[in-house]
Formats: sequence, C-alpha cells, structure tokens
Amino acid sequence: MMKKIISVMAAAALVTVMLSGCTDAAPAASAPAAPAEAAADDAAPAGEAASGTSYKIAVVPKMTNIAWFQRMEEGVNQYNEETGSDIFYGGSAEGADQASYVESLLAEDWDAICVVPFDSEAMMPIFEKARAQGIKVITHEAASMDSSVRDYDIEAFKNADYGANFMEELGALTGGKGKYIQFVGSLTSVSHMEWCDAAQKLQEEKFPDMECIGRFETADDTTSSYDQTKELLTANPDIVAIEGSASTDIVGAAQAVEEMGLAGKVSIVGTSMTSIAGQYVEDGTIASFSVWDPAEAGKAMIGLAIAALDGTVEDGMSLGASGYESITDVDGVFYGNARVDVTKDNMANYDF
Amino acid sequence: MKEKNKYAFLTSTQMILVYVIIAFSLVVGFRQPAFFSPATIITICRTGIFTMCFALCEMVVILSGGIDVSFPAIGCVAMYVPMYIVNRVYKIDSAFFAFAVAIIIGLLFGLLNGFLVSVLELPPLIATLATSSVASGGVVTLLGTREFTNLPSSLQAIYNTNLITYTAPDSGFTYPLNVLILVPVVAALLVSWVLRKTMLGRGLYAIGGDKNAARVAGFNVRKLQFIAYVFSGVFTGIAAMIYNILMHSATTSALMGDEMITIAACVIGGVRITGGHGTVLGTFLGVLLITLVQNNLNMLGIPTSWQRFVVGIVILLGTILTSWQAKRSMNAGRA
Repeated sequence: MMKKIISVMAAAALVTVMLSGCTDAAPAASAPAAPAEAAADDAAPAGEAASGTSYKIAVVPKMTNIAWFQRMEEGVNQYNEETGSDIFYGGSAEGADQASYVESLLAEDWDAICVVPFDSEAMMPIFEKARAQGIKVITHEAASMDSSVRDYDIEAFKNADYGANFMEELGALTGGKGKYIQFVGSLTSVSHMEWCDAAQKLQEEKFPDMECIGRFETADDTTSSYDQTKELLTANPDIVAIEGSASTDIVGAAQAVEEMGLAGKVSIVGTSMTSIAGQYVEDGTIASFSVWDPAEAGKAMIGLAIAALDGTVEDGMSLGASGYESITDVDGVFYGNARVDVTKDNMANYDF
Repeated sequence: MKEKNKYAFLTSTQMILVYVIIAFSLVVGFRQPAFFSPATIITICRTGIFTMCFALCEMVVILSGGIDVSFPAIGCVAMYVPMYIVNRVYKIDSAFFAFAVAIIIGLLFGLLNGFLVSVLELPPLIATLATSSVASGGVVTLLGTREFTNLPSSLQAIYNTNLITYTAPDSGFTYPLNVLILVPVVAALLVSWVLRKTMLGRGLYAIGGDKNAARVAGFNVRKLQFIAYVFSGVFTGIAAMIYNILMHSATTSALMGDEMITIAACVIGGVRITGGHGTVLGTFLGVLLITLVQNNLNMLGIPTSWQRFVVGIVILLGTILTSWQAKRSMNAGRA
C-alpha cells in the first residue's frame, strides 16, 4: 500500500517537473497543449498555465450559493485537473460572513489567498492579518479597495470600457434616439455605478438625442427589476432602452417587456448569465448581454497569485486565462480584456 | 349609541388604512396621471400575489400567539426541490407533481415548527429561526444552489393563462393578470370564513389572546398551534410554487428577507403582534398599502436612494397607528 502511494507521488512529482520544464523551455506561442475547453478554443495561450503549482493557494468567492461563483469553482477545478495542482476553493454560502470565513482559513499556512470581497471594509483587517502572516493577498472585483491591504488586484476589464460598450450597443439598437433607464443592484455598488456613469457619459457625448430618465436600485432581485420596469414604462411610455447592471436586472426587465407586448420595441442590454437570461436571448427580447467568465477570472487570480509568489508580476504579462493574455497595470490594479458578448450564436460556450 | 358606533367604525384601523390608501393614490395620481388606469389595478394585483399569500400564513400564526420567520426559507426549499428534481433528476412535466412536492415540503416544515412550538414549547421566534436555518442550510448542503429559470411546459402553461389582459388605449401596452391571482383571493375568503365562523377559527383567536384561559375554556391549545404552523407551511409551499411560475425563477434565496415586510403588512393591517387580534380584511389592506407604496415611488418621483427610507417610514407610521389604536380600544374597554 505504502509503496503504491509513494510511486504515485513520485509519478506526480515527475509529471510536475516535466510540465514546468516544458513551459520554461517553450514560450507561450509554442504551447499547443490547450485542453479541450469550449470557451477558450480561440485562446491557445490558456494552455500555458499547464504547470502545476506546489504553492498552497486558496480561492474564496463572495459567496458560494450562486451560479456565478459555481462557474468560478468549475474554473478552479479545471485548473487543478489540467495542471495537477491542488488549489483550494471555498467560501461562505451567503457572503455576509465571508470575513469570518477567511479569518478561520488563516489558521492554515497558505502561500496566497485569492478573494472576491463581499464587503471590502469588513475584509480589510483580515487581509492585514493575512499579510502580516506572510500570505500574498490577491483580490478580484475590488479595484477601489484600499490597495495597502492587498498585494494585487485583477479585474476582468476597466469598468469605464465595459460600461461604455453598453451605450455603443444601445446607440446602435435605438438609432441613437429616445429615453432610457439604468438599473443598478445598489447605488453603493462601485462597479455597477461606474458602468452606468461611463455609459451615460458616452451617451451625452455621442448620442445627444438620447435621454437618461434615471438610475434605479434593484437589490439584485429579479422581482424588483420586473416591477420597476412595468412601473417606469407605464409612467414613461416613450422609454426605448433599458440598461441593466446586476445579472438579474435585464432578466426581470425582459419578462416585463415581454408581458407588456414590447419585445423588440424596447432594447435591453446589460450584464447577465446564460443560465438566467438565455431564454430571452433565445426568443430575441434581449439581443445580447455582456459578461466575463468567472471560470477564467478564477484562473487569472491563481495565475496572478503564482506570479506574485514567484515575484514575476509585470505589466503586459499573461495570466494563462482567456481574456487575461496581456494584463494592464494601473497602480497595482491589473486589468484584463475579458468582456464576452453573449448572443444566440455563442451562448452554448458560456453555459453558466 | 348609533352615533358612537359610526364614529368607532370611521376611526377603526381599517378605515384609517383606507383613507391613507386613498390619499396616497390621489397624490401619486396627481403627480403621474398614468396612475389612474386599470393597468395600475392589474399591476398591484400581480405584484401583491406573493405578499398576500405569505401575509395570510403569517397572520394565522400571529393570531395564534406565535410568529413565523421561517416561511421564506421553507418557500425557497419548496420551489427549489421540485425544480431540482425536474431539471436534474427526472423530467416530470406535471404541474400536479410540482405543487404536490412543494406542498409536502411545506407540510413537513410546518409539522417541524408545530412540534418545536407546541410540544417542546420553544419560543416561536427561536423555533422558526432554527427551522429557517435547517431548511435553507439543508437544501444548500444537499442539493447545492442553482437558479432554475426554465419552467416545464405544464407550469409554463399556467404562466400563459391570464384571467384578463388589459391593453392601454394610448400606449398599446398590455397588462396581463395571471389566473394565479385567484389563489390568494380564494384563500383569503376561506381563511376569513374559518376564522369568523368555525370553532377552529375562534380557537386560534382564543389561544392567541390567552393560552391558559383558552385551555380552561376547553380548547386544545397544542392542536391549534400545530394547525396554525402546518397551515402556514402548506400555504407557503403553494405560494412559493406560484412565485416560481410567475417569476420563472427557483433559487435557494429568492424569498429570503421577505419576512420583515410580510410581518409589517400584517401589523399595519391591525394584526396584534402579541396574538389574538386581527382580520383578513385588515391584513389585505396592510398588504395593499405596502404594495402600493413599494410600487409607486418611482411614479411619485422619489429618488431611488430615498425609497428604502420612505418604505421604512411608512411601516413605522403604520405600526404606530395600530399600536395607538390598540391602546385606545383598551382604554375604551376600561371606561
């Protein structure tokens, strides 16, 4: 029995050495070992990550009970399978107790923790504690967080670029004319607000014939965006476009628009996921929605953590994840170019 | 004497709620003429379906001297499990099956609540909090969490069945009212009848007012408490399946947090939080007021950042009104 274990371990070690050696010797371009991953078939460099790491790294999502972070878990699992690593993934179900979850993790001797903070304020003392223990702290979706408490932050894209894209789409869909509304999960959600600000700014410059009626809070609740869409359309029958931010926003809006017989007359854009918005893309009420793949974001966090531990973090480097092939450094926050526009045609690749 | 009765009627909690509702509607209508349209009635009915169903559950439990904060969790389990089975285990395309599973789940948790409160005599708040944790924690652990957004065609058929569809003449917008609105309507009439006309109903009031007096009077307190929680569980199951059908969404967290607004609707409607007092009509008015306020703040032009504050103020004022009324009726009784 013992012998067997030892031989398996030896084999694993050998494979690890071989793989890492392979990557060292062969630059990114000649690494065709890209595994059969539907989402990344046009992104060969993803295979570059195929060097198992012996670092002890934990990935902690905002919460585990939503499909978004289950997709991130899939990404982490996939990374582990492809590279033979053993990255840990886990978090609190609801998110509110994320700080205490991470604090309890600190009892173990991690090399790095990758966290998507639920509440930045609550996480700050925990991150300080982690760094005092010599643990590298990588964050995601936390660009605005005080950078002194973490090592690096990786974002899928610059929020301004992402938000402006929605207005480009709306401009094209509406011909640059008419009233529109914006939904945000919460007026305190920095990313949602930045997307909407950028969209509005672009609209004022590029589509002066469009008019923003207002920005409304939905608390990430489908029912809320559904009810408010009906209310706002009733009060302002000349609304021609809706921009959503939380993934549930455009789902509720689309249902309301369909029920009111306005499918095709009111354009809807926003961030969402195939699992909840797919049916409306299928029937055309939503032309397309944008998203970034949390599976790739998870891999990117791991890639950045390894680079941080190796001391090789630099502007323009690749994190071995689709959309993160060349990351941009802006004061310690790294940005990928990982926006994905999901339409009827490519929906199957982003099945989360 | 007659004059006095008339005065008492005109200043009853329910009538005051009616005045407030009328006044609020006038204000909204003044700001936004689009409010005065049959569309508004349909929208309010459609939105109020869930709140009304849950408020009925909560009301019955509060009347009996208890409180139920577990219905959101029970409801989530009751809609999630059947949808999980349909999507992941075996494709059973049957509305009957979906509702049956939801009802059985509601029943089981209702029995658990009843057992904790009436047999173990735990404080209802603690007991139902525990049930809530068990329900939502259990389902997440055992079945994980996904969001199921595709209805099997039998449920989709219910979604497509509308009682009436109003088409606004000037805009051409359609406002369908789903047939499921009948569920809270029928349930409200039924509960109202049971509470007023049957021994069971009188018993619920009696144990809510004074458990010991009720026992002495010959009511089976345990049995009545059981019935209250089981009713709440079962009807929560039904209401949750309705939510799933109307919103195309079954998740393990969709209803979480709804208990506060539901309890508030009951209390505003004159259901005394200590038990023994309250009517279906009052609860209906409470639900109507809260739904009306929640759904028309945009029409009223209140900035979104102020809306939660305004809803809070409405709840606060409503609660003050009812507690003031309760005090007044007690003083009147003494005099």
